Amino acid sequence: MAEDPESSLQLPPSSAAEGEGPTEGSPETVTPEPPSSAAVSPGTEEPVGDTKKKIDILLKAVGDTPIMKTKKWAVERTRTIQGLIDFIKKFLKLVASEQLFIYVNQSFAPSPDQEVGTLYECFGSDGKLVLHYCKSQAWG
Amino acid sequence: MEEDEFFGEKTFQHDCAEFIKHSQQIGDGWEWRTSKEALELPLDDSEVTETATATEVIKYEYHVLYSCSYQVPVLYFRASFLDGRPLALKDVWEGVHECYRTRLLQGPWDTITQQEHPILGQPFFVLHPCKTNEFMTPVVKNSRKINRNVNYITSWLSIVGPAVGLNVPLSYARAASQDE
Repeated sequence: MAEDPESSLQLPPSSAAEGEGPTEGSPETVTPEPPSSAAVSPGTEEPVGDTKKKIDILLKAVGDTPIMKTKKWAVERTRTIQGLIDFIKKFLKLVASEQLFIYVNQSFAPSPDQEVGTLYECFGSDGKLVLHYCKSQAWG
Repeated sequence: MEEDEFFGEKTFQHDCAEFIKHSQQIGDGWEWRTSKEALELPLDDSEVTETATATEVIKYEYHVLYSCSYQVPVLYFRASFLDGRPLALKDVWEGVHECYRTRLLQGPWDTITQQEHPILGQPFFVLHPCKTNEFMTPVVKNSRKINRNVNYITSWLSIVGPAVGLNVPLSYARAASQDE
């Protein structure tokens, strides 16, 4: 999908947290380019009038896991958990041997093939999906 | 539950019972069995899973046991074709989800091993439990911090299951957060 070149934020109409938008917006324009994964973009750049193809995700670190500088992301509904894991691992510069787990409800790890859109429908609130992520050496 | 008994056998039984309650609601086939005879009963078709590689159907069987030495649950599993031919470990690897393969392939002998089932005495593959405490601790600690009960079995199985072809339905996540 194409990146919206507009630098002004357009909040989705259903979002209740209007106050958060502009605050999250300005740091994101100076954040170093995340790895080329076009389905995940900072902020909430939505073409006006389109059905909302992206959902807002708030990422929270658990335990000793590094905290991401940008926590709020607009992600395509069809993005899988695996895709999101790969993205966060690259963003945090984790090595391949480190595992990253993503949780909903702070306790349940969805299957890697699960789409974030589905998770948003089931567990989203206040216009966003909160996901916790945790780094670990699970095996070996 | 005592603080120093991180995940004792009583909690294991309790969390399994809650897990099975939900399993019965959605009909995905988990059962609690304690004797050898009960375990040898033929399983119903809900255990059957298809693979993408061949047109053959492969049946996976999963058992959750409690390890007294590690004080954690352990996942035992085996896979066979419908005619009863067991799958070799290398075939099982092909069922391992892409995102886990790199890590698991670096040292398969550390992660999936073949062991005798403690009750059945038959060879099963086992996902080694030595790191379970490590990845479960942040989850449990976090839930205590926010004062919410977590079903250890649900959380644990949702993490380890996909690595060996077992996807835990999302509805378990909602069920777990209601057990308070």
